Amino acid sequence: MRKFLRTVLLIDLIEGLWVTFRYQRPKHIYTEQYPAERPKVAERFRGAPRLNINPETGETLCIACNLCALACPENLIVVSSERNEKTRRKELTTFTYDTSRCMFCGLCEDACPTDALELTQDFELAAYSREGAIWDRQMLEEGPRPTKYPY
Amino acid sequence: MPEQKAEGKPQPAAKAPPAMAVAPWDDELARSLKQRFGEQITELSVYLGQKFLVAKPEAVVPILQYLNSEAAFDYLVDVTAVDYPSRAERFELIYILYSFARNERIRIKTRVAEGARPASATGVYPTANWLEREVFDMFGIEFADHPDMRRILMPEDWTGHPLRKDSSILAMDHRWVKEHLGIDSGQ
Amino acid sequence: MPDGTYLDATELVLNMGPQHPSTHGVLRVILKLDGERVIGTECVIGYLHRGVEKIGENRTYAQFAPYVDRMDYVASVSNGLGYCLAVEKLLSVEVPPRAQAVRVILTELNRIASHLIWLGTHALDVGAITPLFYTMREREEILKIYEKYCGARLTTHAFRIGGLQYELYEGFEDEVRAFCDMFLPKVDEYEELLTGNRIWIARLKNVGVLNAEDCKAYGVTGPMLRAAGVKWDLRKAQPYSGYEQYDFEIPTGVNGDSYDRYLVRIEEMRQSVRIIRQAVDRMPEGPIMGKVPKVIKPPLGEVYVSIEAPKGELGYYIVSDGSTQPYRVRVRPPSFVNLQALDKMCRGALVADVVVIIGTIDIVLGEVDR
Repeated sequence: MRKFLRTVLLIDLIEGLWVTFRYQRPKHIYTEQYPAERPKVAERFRGAPRLNINPETGETLCIACNLCALACPENLIVVSSERNEKTRRKELTTFTYDTSRCMFCGLCEDACPTDALELTQDFELAAYSREGAIWDRQMLEEGPRPTKYPY
Repeated sequence: MPEQKAEGKPQPAAKAPPAMAVAPWDDELARSLKQRFGEQITELSVYLGQKFLVAKPEAVVPILQYLNSEAAFDYLVDVTAVDYPSRAERFELIYILYSFARNERIRIKTRVAEGARPASATGVYPTANWLEREVFDMFGIEFADHPDMRRILMPEDWTGHPLRKDSSILAMDHRWVKEHLGIDSGQ
Repeated sequence: MPDGTYLDATELVLNMGPQHPSTHGVLRVILKLDGERVIGTECVIGYLHRGVEKIGENRTYAQFAPYVDRMDYVASVSNGLGYCLAVEKLLSVEVPPRAQAVRVILTELNRIASHLIWLGTHALDVGAITPLFYTMREREEILKIYEKYCGARLTTHAFRIGGLQYELYEGFEDEVRAFCDMFLPKVDEYEELLTGNRIWIARLKNVGVLNAEDCKAYGVTGPMLRAAGVKWDLRKAQPYSGYEQYDFEIPTGVNGDSYDRYLVRIEEMRQSVRIIRQAVDRMPEGPIMGKVPKVIKPPLGEVYVSIEAPKGELGYYIVSDGSTQPYRVRVRPPSFVNLQALDKMCRGALVADVVVIIGTIDIVLGEVDR
């Protein structure tokens, strides 16, 4: 009898509808209103690469050891350097990073011995052309400048 | 990136080529296989705790049949191949079997030359259907008596067999980009 | 008039093309229909073939690890675990217990995430739109934990050969415990929406039946095999990464139809929460990386290691020739082998059931095609 009533009065369907009905005034709204509120990504987020600069001297931290280029699975980092005769050390001249082929795996960041190359929290990396996605040293040190729309 | 690698290291002519550090496999199953198939099993070894045997190509399907019916290996895990172009019989076909009752996994390896047509295992295990199609698609090893021998992953009109060592990954990229886009590939 | 003209033809060939909302990726299924009944199917795959195995022969062992995540992109941590276990076996490297415990936690979270996507999309295919929102909401919490731990949500590259790269972040254990506490009532909520629902039962019961002998013959593993009644799980049969320490059950079904598979996967989510709680409570201290040489050059040999991925048995067969790059990497994809059984399951079903059956096999085309 109970089963008959359950079937005829659609109790099982109403139970399911009651679950959705409970969400009428949700306490927490999960939708993020992008781009008005940008999501806060984690500290370890693997986003745009950046070449770090020593904050005191203003020089680059990169020692041109080429370990990041060797670690990259896609071989998209090209590091060139020249030897400085005065200090007998290698100095970085150009550093090219192709973000269009990068898969943001983090192997270059893991390989860097001086924490010069770092993957930051920037995720807005759009460019207008394929060449625009190939970053040179200046772009890498400054970081991408996405257009900020006023809201 | 190197496109072709030599297998092993160069060595003086008197020494044998480097081989895996295997241990012999000698338990009840190995003995019964040896007794049943004798000459056709050329090697029974264990490497890193994983048992495998090397057999002649004609004996593979009878061995699979025997293992399926008598030794309770009722699950064919994988069929795959490896290409050793420096050998005379360049492909090594590998069948991996598992037995639910014994909780044991074994490998059956065999060496086939280019152009050889080994017998298909679909009569023993229906799983082998798509797995053998993929081996054909990637390596070009045709299986005799397969119900549906055609390419599975590559498009039907593709020429060549991608996982062979002589299909260079860069050459394929250059060829496709030149043909379809008219520019030089940047790789 | 010749006999048997086309006016008598009862077969219709229908193409469920690669672009279809219910095929979970680019899967093309060619159906041969007799009215509404299916009398034969043929799967055409390969639309997402990226040649991962060929790429593997041209990268070093450490460089290949990010590519492995992209095969089963829904559950990428499991792929990484299988690959790292295989290379570690080749190198005979021992992973320290703390790394093993963290690996278990992340892999079980991954199992929950994969089953949540499965549940959401399967319900969506059948017609119930609501569970998709709820499961994605829970999956979001798991992805936040992944992001805080390793920096990426989907293609995580969480494990390294020999252990872990990153130490656990502050508050990892609290967040995982909070997730577990939050999640179990949500599973009950999904069950409330679906399990007793007469429409769900009518669409799923006795659809896509695959009994135990057929499962073993077709090489089908994972929740499909367990729903057919075979109590087999690689985590219990051949434990890896410390699973033998944890106490959990293997849910099984009775008939091997889609409804049993649904129940098995729901129960697996609950058992995963149980494993996670045990692992978090017992987290050992210690190093997170084993003794791995700087340049990974395994000795000449080959190995086959398989794990219980959320979809089935995911196996890696790696042949090494003594150099820094593998000679052959073969991935045994569970979705590829499970998809073979589609033809057997669809015979005699209606066209609408084909959608349900594709959903219940739980395929990810990235893994089918590699």
